[in-house]
Amino acid sequence: MKMTFTGAFAAALMLSAAQPSLAVERGGTLVYGRYADSLFLDPVLNDANVDIWVLSNLYDTLLLPTDDGQGVQPGLATKWAVSADGKTVTLQLRPGAKFSNGRAITPDDVVWSLERAANPKEGIWNFLISSIDKVVADGADGVKIMLKHPDPAILQALTVFNTAVMPKAEFEAEPGTTDEAKAREFAKAPIGSGPFVLKDWVHGQSMTLVRNPYYWAEGSDGKPLPYLDSVVFKVVPDDATRILQLQSGGLDGAEFIPYARVQELKKMSGINMELYPSTRVEFVTLNVRDEVNGKPNPLANPEVRQALNYATNKQAIIQIVTHGVGSPMSSFMSSATPLHAGKGELFPYDLAKAKALMAKAGYAKGFSVPLLVLAGNQDELSIGTLLQQMWGQVGVKLELQQVDNATRTDAYRKGAFSMRLSAWTDDIADPSEITSYFAYSPTIQALHSGWKNDTVDKLFVESQSQTDAAKRKEEYAKIQEIFNATGPTVPLYQTPYPVALRKDVHGFVQIPLGNNIFRAAWVSKKASN
Amino acid sequence: MHLLLYVLRRIIQLIPTLLFIALVVFLLVHLLPGDPASAMLGDRALTADVNRINHDLGLDRPLPVQFLLFLRNLAHGDLGRSIQLHESVLSLIAQRLPVTMLLTAMSALIAVALALPLAFLAALRRDREADILIRGTFQVGLSMPVFYIGLLLLTFFGAYLRWFPVGGYGDTFAGHLYHLFLPALTLALSLSAVLMRNLRQAILQVIGAEYVDFARAKGLPARLVLFRHVLRNALISTVTLFGLQIGTLLGGAVVTETVFAIPGAGRLMIESIYGRDYPVVQGTTLCLAVVVSLTFLLTDLAQVALDPRLSR
Amino acid sequence: MTIALPARSRRRRRFPLPLVVGGGMLAAQLLLALFPSAFAPYAPDSFDYNALMQPPSAAHLFGTDNFGRDVLSRVIHAYSVDMQIAVFATVLPFFFGTSVGAVIGYAGGMAETIFGRLVDAIITFPFLVLVIAIVAVLGPGLINMYIAVGVVDWVFYARLAVAEVKVQKRLDYAEAGRAMGYSPARIVFRHLMPNIITPLIVYWMTDMALAILLGSSLGYLGLGAQPPIAEWGVQIADAKNFMATAWWMSVFPGIAIVLAGLSFSLTGDGVAETMRTRR
Repeated sequence: MKMTFTGAFAAALMLSAAQPSLAVERGGTLVYGRYADSLFLDPVLNDANVDIWVLSNLYDTLLLPTDDGQGVQPGLATKWAVSADGKTVTLQLRPGAKFSNGRAITPDDVVWSLERAANPKEGIWNFLISSIDKVVADGADGVKIMLKHPDPAILQALTVFNTAVMPKAEFEAEPGTTDEAKAREFAKAPIGSGPFVLKDWVHGQSMTLVRNPYYWAEGSDGKPLPYLDSVVFKVVPDDATRILQLQSGGLDGAEFIPYARVQELKKMSGINMELYPSTRVEFVTLNVRDEVNGKPNPLANPEVRQALNYATNKQAIIQIVTHGVGSPMSSFMSSATPLHAGKGELFPYDLAKAKALMAKAGYAKGFSVPLLVLAGNQDELSIGTLLQQMWGQVGVKLELQQVDNATRTDAYRKGAFSMRLSAWTDDIADPSEITSYFAYSPTIQALHSGWKNDTVDKLFVESQSQTDAAKRKEEYAKIQEIFNATGPTVPLYQTPYPVALRKDVHGFVQIPLGNNIFRAAWVSKKASN
Repeated sequence: MHLLLYVLRRIIQLIPTLLFIALVVFLLVHLLPGDPASAMLGDRALTADVNRINHDLGLDRPLPVQFLLFLRNLAHGDLGRSIQLHESVLSLIAQRLPVTMLLTAMSALIAVALALPLAFLAALRRDREADILIRGTFQVGLSMPVFYIGLLLLTFFGAYLRWFPVGGYGDTFAGHLYHLFLPALTLALSLSAVLMRNLRQAILQVIGAEYVDFARAKGLPARLVLFRHVLRNALISTVTLFGLQIGTLLGGAVVTETVFAIPGAGRLMIESIYGRDYPVVQGTTLCLAVVVSLTFLLTDLAQVALDPRLSR
Repeated sequence: MTIALPARSRRRRRFPLPLVVGGGMLAAQLLLALFPSAFAPYAPDSFDYNALMQPPSAAHLFGTDNFGRDVLSRVIHAYSVDMQIAVFATVLPFFFGTSVGAVIGYAGGMAETIFGRLVDAIITFPFLVLVIAIVAVLGPGLINMYIAVGVVDWVFYARLAVAEVKVQKRLDYAEAGRAMGYSPARIVFRHLMPNIITPLIVYWMTDMALAILLGSSLGYLGLGAQPPIAEWGVQIADAKNFMATAWWMSVFPGIAIVLAGLSFSLTGDGVAETMRTRR
């Protein structure tokens, strides 16, 4: 069995190359304004981005995503290898790695954590590592992961939040009879091995993380990371207030800056307006079933869907909704997603072609159709307003229906919607997650649209255990070609993450998967003190 | 003694009201489309996961059974656990409701402090410059959306002058008062406008009434007439209105709490409606109902104090 | 300090000044509401990608919004929607609430106790739960907004009426009416009503302005008027991100709300004055 050890040398590249080589300054607090509070800090049982995007500061994974979100770098494992048949992954644990309570991390903790994460009865993320059959300790400082089938995305999966290594004994000592009850207790004062430890949490208001003295990674000054003494998350739900707090010094950084204000903040002195590359895509999901809620559905006709695509002036939407921050999509997945394939803007605006397609499909007079829009969301409302006008040109009368998220999700899951606006962000640096939801019909009937393509389904299954990288790339190119041409979506744009930081904040990064990485962040002391 | 009995009776009467509210809110939240699991899991949820979680929460049982369970727990003082926040509803309310109550109390104080003297001034100088200026200013205050006023105050007094913090709640009681001043002022602007208008008209009406003429004819000093007769009688409808407005403020300061980043009950309420967090919506509604009912009781008592005839 | 009590008005002017000014303003706004197209220079929903967020100019007196729509035209077209909101959301609650409140206040006893509990239940019920539920079941839109507002709003009038009637019914003239053997209905609606109606009308006029504002709050939450309808509250809510960069998007609809509110208030004050001097 031929093993290829990689990674050991990559440790030197560990920290972002994007950082300027300033002399770092240690200590201090970084106050970061978030739009919403976290809900549940358990790596396996959480459900939402508000948790996912901060979890990696508390819990470390065996491997870490690189800052560009495309590759992997060493985490709690220093070396890893995939066997030639692709069915075994061997990992060597970092010597001396400890949890935040000072206890050494053992292979036993890793085995337990991974098996919990892979358990189909636990949480909603287990599908990411559904290929895992069994995990065993491999000597005193290693683990071996046995797979049911070769999984080309397994290394990427080991960087994802749900595979974080947790302390088995401490978790199981929590009161409660079920795993969930224990997790609730554990998550109140989590013990992980990430760069920070949760110190204090006032729900809906603020969360304080302090540095984990046992964190393994070294900073550029040769001393252990993190540089900061603490990170404070403040919950400031209103965008305008978050920006005001940043300007008045109450915050050092603020996430989710509205696109409309990006230009304004770029010009502001003392502020760095960052646009971190992201995997976020915005699109319209179309129900393609023959009937929706008992009525015939014009969107079942692929020509109608193409007509809508051509009638959509993406450049105008990008200009008006994202104020130029976004860019057109060349495939259903973002260009930051590995194995993305596509050249140029999909369906460039062409009203004449759209009208011809509508006529060809027998809808020269158009039809009336509702679009579900998230109530109170300015971006979605603007997109809806624009689509209403653009599609009106080809006779489609768009009726905007603002509903709350739970109402929309309910209609969506039941397939009882005609159209909705949607957004997507990858959780793993691999195209399999997005493709499974968008195109592979068994997962959720291709975005609950009812779209089904046998070739795509077959290609996806093959690609899931494809060990030949070139072949997998081809398979993904083919899947994207089919979906982009006939799929159940109207792609609108992809956008970066707009984050505003004060000029004295350095080394912070939000990776394309959304994770906020504070481990190498530092604040230069103000000149005044 | 008589008063005590009245208060006691009112408190006992609260029980059927609360039961009624419990039933309505239970039905309403369960009738909303969607369920906690799909609200929590979002668009990527697999049907199997949604069903599993709803089953674990006991949401697949018949509604009457769920309602009876809810009532049984309620009788034991147990409002359940939050589905989203994994915390007991009672402790969530204990954290959030006092924030909203403090905010409401502060804005009520500011509103009264603004409305009372200015209403008198406006009424006594009717249709003169002072009256027109006061009414015009309040009209502008009444016509501006809360988030607009809030952002203006934050920008000017918070970010520009730096007299007040830009949102947040603070850590100490003094800090709370300091942080809540601007949001309380925001709410007070429209509340005081409503009160001022009502009080001004009421004063004019009372001044025109026969008994004031009579008191004046008896030769009572103007100040005494003003306070003993005019204020008392004019306040009756204003106090009623005040109680009603406070009631809606308690349950509806959502926008203010959002703009000022205040962790209050309004935000908890809307987040739990959107999250279909049934126990929190139910618990918060019931607790708010108790607080608002007690506020009404207080305003009713205030009215009796103003006009003892009302107690009979 | 000397306090001078103004002499009781002896003027018997049929139309007090506030009523004339307020009524005049209302009439002008009604004209805009009925024939917006006659006054608006552009269609309210025509986009101009080449004129996004233009400041006020000769071509666009109130500037353009983020879709390049003419703000002036949208403000004018919004009159038909906002006048509708002001009236429809409040007129039924006013009549229904006042009548019910007056009757209950007069009857007192058990009726009042039960009503008191109902009021508590309705007022203490979080308005947002109700609105979201109604919108979720019936869909968002103006009619459903009126329903949600109406279900709650009548209680305000009713409770005000109860408090007022309770005072008035003890006064001599009401006692006299009873002594004369008049039916309770006659006493309530013929004799008490004129004496209690003033604060209710004053509140009604305030309430109209509040209704437009509520439209704005609901617009902020996406539950108010739906696009592409122009409505002041929604216009202001939509302009939230542009307060610093394009003030005209929110200021002009804001001025329209102030003016509309002012005309309601003046009319209310004028009506109240007329009622007072008529007695």
